[in-house]
Amino acid sequence: MPKTNAAALVFDDLSFQYNTRSEPAIQHISFSVQPGELLLIAGSSGCGKTTLMRCANGLIPNAYHGKISGDIKLFGRSVFEMQMAEISQAVGTLLQDPERQILGSYVLNEVGFGLESLGIPRNEIIPRVDETLEHLGILHMRDRETFGTSGGEKQKIALAGVLVMKPKILLLDEPLSSLDPASAHEALQTFRQLADEGLSVVIVEHRVEDVLTIHPDTVVYIDEGQVTYCGDSKGLMAIVDYRRIKLPADIVVERARNAPAPQFYPVLKPNYKNPETLLSFEGVHFQYNEDSPEVLDDINFEIHKGDVIAVLGHNGSGKTTMVKHALGLLKPTQGHVLLEGLDTQKMTVAEAAHTVGYVFQSPTQMLFAPTVKEELAFGPKNLGFSPEEIDKNVTWAIETVHLNEELDTPPLALSFGQQKRISIAAILSMRSRILMMDEPTAGQDYWNYQAFMDAILQMPGFDSVIFITHDLDLALIYANRILILYGGKIVADGRPQDVLQDELQLKKFRILPTSLLKLNMQYLPKTGSFYRAETIAHFIG
Amino acid sequence: MLVTWRYKYRNSIMDRIDPRARWIFSCAFLISCTMFWDARFLIFFFIIAVVWYTFGRTKWKETRRGWLLVSVMLFSMIVINTLITGGGAGGVVPPGGHEVWTQGFTIPWVNWHIHFGLTAERLWFAICQLLRLGGISAIFVLIPYTMDSRSYGATFHGLGMPDRFAYTMELSFRFIPTLAQDSAATLDAQKARGYEIEKVKGGLFRKILRIAPLIVPITMNSIVASEDVANAMDLRCFGQYKRTWLFELKFHWWDIILIIFSALMLIGSAVAAYGFKMGNFWIPESFINMLIG
Repeated sequence: MPKTNAAALVFDDLSFQYNTRSEPAIQHISFSVQPGELLLIAGSSGCGKTTLMRCANGLIPNAYHGKISGDIKLFGRSVFEMQMAEISQAVGTLLQDPERQILGSYVLNEVGFGLESLGIPRNEIIPRVDETLEHLGILHMRDRETFGTSGGEKQKIALAGVLVMKPKILLLDEPLSSLDPASAHEALQTFRQLADEGLSVVIVEHRVEDVLTIHPDTVVYIDEGQVTYCGDSKGLMAIVDYRRIKLPADIVVERARNAPAPQFYPVLKPNYKNPETLLSFEGVHFQYNEDSPEVLDDINFEIHKGDVIAVLGHNGSGKTTMVKHALGLLKPTQGHVLLEGLDTQKMTVAEAAHTVGYVFQSPTQMLFAPTVKEELAFGPKNLGFSPEEIDKNVTWAIETVHLNEELDTPPLALSFGQQKRISIAAILSMRSRILMMDEPTAGQDYWNYQAFMDAILQMPGFDSVIFITHDLDLALIYANRILILYGGKIVADGRPQDVLQDELQLKKFRILPTSLLKLNMQYLPKTGSFYRAETIAHFIG
Repeated sequence: MLVTWRYKYRNSIMDRIDPRARWIFSCAFLISCTMFWDARFLIFFFIIAVVWYTFGRTKWKETRRGWLLVSVMLFSMIVINTLITGGGAGGVVPPGGHEVWTQGFTIPWVNWHIHFGLTAERLWFAICQLLRLGGISAIFVLIPYTMDSRSYGATFHGLGMPDRFAYTMELSFRFIPTLAQDSAATLDAQKARGYEIEKVKGGLFRKILRIAPLIVPITMNSIVASEDVANAMDLRCFGQYKRTWLFELKFHWWDIILIIFSALMLIGSAVAAYGFKMGNFWIPESFINMLIG
């Protein structure tokens, strides 16, 4: 790439429409990124952020075809005149899910992949890989297998694989989506440092509040494929709808004072006097095979009627493994899991599914039916519901996730965010007594996930709801009980205001206090409980 | 995510052999072995395969899934195709032969009369098949468990394949464990919706429809995953320049000896089979006498 004084990346009136779609994904996009600039692109699901990134890294038009107009200039040269290899050396891309990007079976091979492709001699590759790994603080992982690494580690490995090629521009597609709060914080610090070192960094992210902590130089807000704001972060906070983008709690309080207070009346209330036990874990230990370490280490807890439990914990702490035991998908290597008094060792998963509805993290693992309606009817049919009950449940479930108009659409034709909501509705329609959700908000924008969480928790029918999340604010707004897992052990279990009050303790468990938690702690004597920022605004008056 | 076979270093003889030499030997063995139906030759190959297998120092627990798959294949080829229908012996075992067990029965309604006859020759052929296929399986089942996943692409490239083809081979090699992992995840997700594969009943069409909840997500995931892999490779300049293979392979003297042995085995087999017309199907008289008295 020749050295010029030109901007690193310029979008000049860019529009693109996929061949398979009837509407353009992005329209008349114009903004630029300077060398060493950190730019945040924000927007709700399906607004065109990913398409914009594909245009910048050359996947459009090389891998995805469609109608394109306008131009993108990379250091003064149009990317449409450049070869894919040329673009890839200048623009490094970190995909949303690092698992989709990792090709090598070992860290060294993964990080060295790009250099191997460039034909760089072996004796140069290894020092460059080592240097990059050291820069990211993961040199100790060099000879480890990529498969066994945690979500945060995978992201750093994928990032190393991009940085080792010494790109001039780094594109990051929702880099925080699979990370626990501490890993997300570390990742953000790394991105800031890279920008300070002269790399142009473009971050596409829903978690705007988190990214604002590293002070992006410019924020671009995209809505329905068009840039509606381009400027500094202060300006964004003044104009953007705080119900669509998650902003710092104090800003929301300021802006929500004159708006009507949100109406949220959860149906489930804990019964501390006479708790009815639905599920209990008794001394549960688990390891995937004899040679591997224990993933769960002496887990003891009960789920009672009325509990809304948020399970928090770092990447790889055993959250998903623990929840899978409740349904009998995994059986303890030691100890017992009792579902309504019956040992899950003695029942099939299908039998347990009558009581426990479990929403998997990835919707693509389960969607298969020709229409959304049939997809939602699949579970209740398997459980032997009558046709009238199935119809009623399907209608309720689809309304809960706000996708009524998609009933006759093939689920696989929907966007990832919509597929995720369909996967939740598919379990809701089973009307299980206990609802378990693994990262229900992953891939969802702020408005959508608040809307369906509000709907689920205000609807009668469930005896208990349990959700795994990395989003501390989600936990403190919706849960009446919080479990924290750390290294396969339960290290905290109780009411949110009790569990989340000790900041130092939380940091020890890789959970970082958010502005909403701080605000809630500040007003707790006045509010008596934890609430969303819009509600607190009305307490303050 | 792409996963690999569960390889672990065992400090075995196999770990010390260059993977290129191993593939050369394995392919030479496969070709040589398939030139013969004479049990005297096949026993020789079978012994080589057993010795080779012990070089891997794998445990039964590690390889049992692989052997389960092989057993299903052997059962269908030997028991069904050779012993029951006789189709597998066609063209090798001469027609007729010494019948050791016969049974006739009539299919009701259509009134078809079926005569089943098992001959000593077919039975011996089944033993030869077991020796041949068992030996070949022992050689190839071992590979995924004893070959370092880092060496896949470099090995195929080292065997003379172009970069793209070598890396495609590596990805193909990793496809089976990746598919197994995706299938397990999908099965779990559908079980959580009350789906029980054991309870799939009805006619063929109904059964196909009932396994759609597994087949569709697995297939769609494979398609999406292949797109992701292609994008990830494109974004890191794959296929644009002559590739460096990071995994370093070195031939040692014992690898050379193994390659020479493989070449001799292949040439010797070809000369014996095609030059001297040796190794055609042969059955010992004592076997026939033992069965029919």
